[in-house]
Amino acid sequence: MERYDLVIIGAGPAGLSAAIEAARCGMNIAVYDENKRPGGQLFKQIHKFFGSKEHHAKERGFHIGEELLAEADRLGVDVSLDTVVTGLYPGNEVMIKKGGQVSHVRGDTVLLAAGASENMAPFDGWTLPGVIGAGAAQTMMNLHGIRPGSRVLMLGSGNVGLVVSYQLLQAGCEVAAVVDAAPKIGGYGVHAAKLARCGVPFQLSSTIVRAKGGDHVEGAVIGRMDEHGKIIPGSETEIDCDTICIAVGLSPMNQLARMSGCRMEQNPKKGGCVPVCNEYGETSVRGLFAAGDAEGIEEASSAMIEGRIAGIACANRLGFLEDGKAKEAVESNEQALDTLRQGMFAPKNRGKQIEKTDEGFPVSQHLLVTGFLGDDEVEVYPGVTHPKGLHPVIECTQNIPCNPCQDACPHGCIHIGSFITALPAVEASAECIGCGRCVASCSGQAIFLVNEDIGGGYASVTMPYEFMPLPEKGDIGLACSRDGQAIGEAEVLDVKSVKAFDHTNLLTIRVPAELSGKARFYKAAQQ
Amino acid sequence: MTQITDRSMRTAAFKPEADDDMLICRCEEITKGEIRRAVYEGMYEITEIRRWLRVGMGLCQGQTCTKLVQRIVAKELGVSPAQLESAAARGPVRPIEMACMGNEKGGVC
Repeated sequence: MERYDLVIIGAGPAGLSAAIEAARCGMNIAVYDENKRPGGQLFKQIHKFFGSKEHHAKERGFHIGEELLAEADRLGVDVSLDTVVTGLYPGNEVMIKKGGQVSHVRGDTVLLAAGASENMAPFDGWTLPGVIGAGAAQTMMNLHGIRPGSRVLMLGSGNVGLVVSYQLLQAGCEVAAVVDAAPKIGGYGVHAAKLARCGVPFQLSSTIVRAKGGDHVEGAVIGRMDEHGKIIPGSETEIDCDTICIAVGLSPMNQLARMSGCRMEQNPKKGGCVPVCNEYGETSVRGLFAAGDAEGIEEASSAMIEGRIAGIACANRLGFLEDGKAKEAVESNEQALDTLRQGMFAPKNRGKQIEKTDEGFPVSQHLLVTGFLGDDEVEVYPGVTHPKGLHPVIECTQNIPCNPCQDACPHGCIHIGSFITALPAVEASAECIGCGRCVASCSGQAIFLVNEDIGGGYASVTMPYEFMPLPEKGDIGLACSRDGQAIGEAEVLDVKSVKAFDHTNLLTIRVPAELSGKARFYKAAQQ
Repeated sequence: MTQITDRSMRTAAFKPEADDDMLICRCEEITKGEIRRAVYEGMYEITEIRRWLRVGMGLCQGQTCTKLVQRIVAKELGVSPAQLESAAARGPVRPIEMACMGNEKGGVC
């Protein structure tokens, strides 16, 4: 039986990160993945990631995947693709299937990094063609260039539901509505705001009663729910759609962990049944580690750090890395992980109702229910100021771990400070030169450059724009408010596409001066 | 083993519900009604229900329906889904052709 220092199951963000750390220490590693390409879900993620600059923030997910792969390649990590791990037996013996043959290998250490699977929501008609998981929608759009449907109803308002809805819009689909059983939007407010300003409605405390159609989805009936989760009679409404996309959470892949006999727990904060792990990700079976979604549902950034910690711990276990160095490396990674686990959306705050930001500003309840900030509400936040001339307006109102905007401004206009979850504040003393780096750096597309008076009763608003075809200078279209309503005429003054902005185009429109605080999106006139 | 071992706890009769014909396990085509009925027939554990009905034994190996089945069973028993033990996990955890199973590198010992 072949023997490796470390066998890694899953070549996603956690598995690859672990492989990189372990390979640096000189370990002999095998990485298995059942897919045809490595990278896990990263290659479906076309949006910019949140987080800190040191940990890939403002980079698009698939670029992070490419970087991980390149680093793994440089270190000589060999990833066996199309290789299914079918069992995990005592003594960390791994059974694999590749090319019509099964074989067994033994790992002196083994890392479970198999990721997660999507939860499903059963309703009348949920097995009709046209009902798909959000992950499937991403696979179709972002890997294969196929639109999943024309008009999509999204079930689930967590970050996955919000991000995928936006990507559906980018792919040219209509999003009929985002429906969620919860009374509040589950994901980041900035993600919701991106949808709302495109005109996507949110229907909360609601669920899908049934999918309509004979042999494929031809519509959906949704209904409002009472506090017991029962549909309120008479509240049903019909939604015209040909696709229903389900984004109601993920479950850790746990079959291999369960098979290994390690201690498991049902942990709702981790998304289901997960192995009980110590701070290094080691399970109760000696030498068996878990990282990433397989250890508890989070997101790719924390999966990468967990993977690094597990890789370091495996190297230390087998003597490839001395105790002192391992401790130091684990500690710095744990610090980074802790940073990501702060703020309103941190795992520890799941389910809590938060009414004030860390700074004491009121959390917009309007945002949580409608997906957009009220025109008056937005004024209280430190990113929203009204100096003369051009200035950034930062509509970032929830404490989330993200700070690239602070470093994006070469003139120090934007201040977050050392707490990564603090709300960005606009510095009154600094001068905005209109470079737009902050606009492009914001993964939540929440930064605008506004000049409230450009003369002649007009204002200019510069916004991030990630749709094709790009408007052209001189185009006349419609300025839209935060809720996607057309509120006036807009003339395109400039469209800036710079390589460093990584496909976030800066669209500058001219609007009547009184709309400077309201116009946050642009639609071509014919729409 | 979980707390739920008292087989005499259920005395009520099975009551049909409007959505009993909804498929829960797509791979093995098992409906919500069949799963509910199994609970009334005395099967309180996910492993037992799996053996009885084959829920979660198809192509996806329960990846889609496990949580749904747990929720249905827990509701019938009046417990939280977290109190139910997961079904035993056995290899192969992914579907695998018999020909492939028999084709073991280095032969079967």
